Amino acid sequence: MATTATLTIASTDIAGDPVTVSKQATLTKAGSSNDLDQSTGLNRVHLRSVTQKTLLAANAEGNDLAAKVYIINKSDDASLYITVAINAQTTGKLYGGDFMFIPWSQTDTDASIKVAATNWTSSTGDIPVEYALFHEDTDFLTNA
Amino acid sequence: MATTIAQLTLTSSDLLSDNLAISTAATLTGAGNSTGLTQSSGLTRRKMTAANAAAIQAGVLYRAGDYTANASNKFYVKNMSTTAAEFFTVTIDQEEIGRLYAGDWMFMPWNATSGTKRVGTVTIAGTWAAGDTWEFDGITMTAADSTTANIAAQIDALNYPNWTTTFVATESTIIFTERYASSGSYTELVTADGALNTAGNGTANISSAAVGSKSESDISIRPSVHTGMTYETILIHE
Repeated sequence: MATTATLTIASTDIAGDPVTVSKQATLTKAGSSNDLDQSTGLNRVHLRSVTQKTLLAANAEGNDLAAKVYIINKSDDASLYITVAINAQTTGKLYGGDFMFIPWSQTDTDASIKVAATNWTSSTGDIPVEYALFHEDTDFLTNA
Repeated sequence: MATTIAQLTLTSSDLLSDNLAISTAATLTGAGNSTGLTQSSGLTRRKMTAANAAAIQAGVLYRAGDYTANASNKFYVKNMSTTAAEFFTVTIDQEEIGRLYAGDWMFMPWNATSGTKRVGTVTIAGTWAAGDTWEFDGITMTAADSTTANIAAQIDALNYPNWTTTFVATESTIIFTERYASSGSYTELVTADGALNTAGNGTANISSAAVGSKSESDISIRPSVHTGMTYETILIHE
């Protein structure tokens, strides 16, 4: 059940010579070569809250297990961003079109992934966000 | 303006009952605008080792104080190990983000929220003589003459490992600003932090202008074994 994630970062002009980073990872369970075998599938929500909303609720049973999270801000407006936080730690902002792909340690139930449409107003329109979780073992939906 | 494109493809033919194919490309731009990011750390590679398992330490990948806060920074890290059980733990400040097992990589935005830096002002006064010394942060200034403004200029011209300086020519004060806001237990900068050796009654009093606060989003990485693990990383930033 191989799931692969491939990232390419390319620029011809950010440095004096072209930059190309291209890597593929096969998503496996923690400490093994067995493939991750569970996924939430691709989800889509429309954010209209300047306060944090839980996108993925941490499951303490997932601690020490492998989990990968993909999140993308699907807004076409470059100025509209979502602020991503894990527990109380703000990690960064995803502007329109930006994505992230990270491993996720659910060290405890506080380690939920939260998002906020920080600069949303009623006139900006909703911010569409898509996300997917690839994981092993536990059924996250029962903990949502 | 530079153009840098990050492209992600997630595929699986057998995870679900139908094919999974997610593909997206993002042009990396500044915060809230369409101007391409123009700065990069370049792709770097480092092997982390320790004498034994108990001696494993986390290393700082990127210090928030070195980059623009609340900007559209992006970083990538990959665990280059081929041993499945070996992982790096990636942490922002004190929050564990996740583990990168062998071959895993991550790509994410980074706020680079720093703390505030400690600041102090050194005032050169009294009667100095050529040959008098003042030591601070392990760096020693030896006065070339007795003029306080010249001595202040000499102090400003030196390079301090943990501090930067600001100096206005003809004045006898130097403002010291700590390079990193990295400690949660800052105390005021005081005169005793410097060591003065003067033949006259010269003084180099320090007054504290600000007590710092710790950095809030340094990125750290910690290997799971001490025998040597290698990672690669790149930061693209404003």
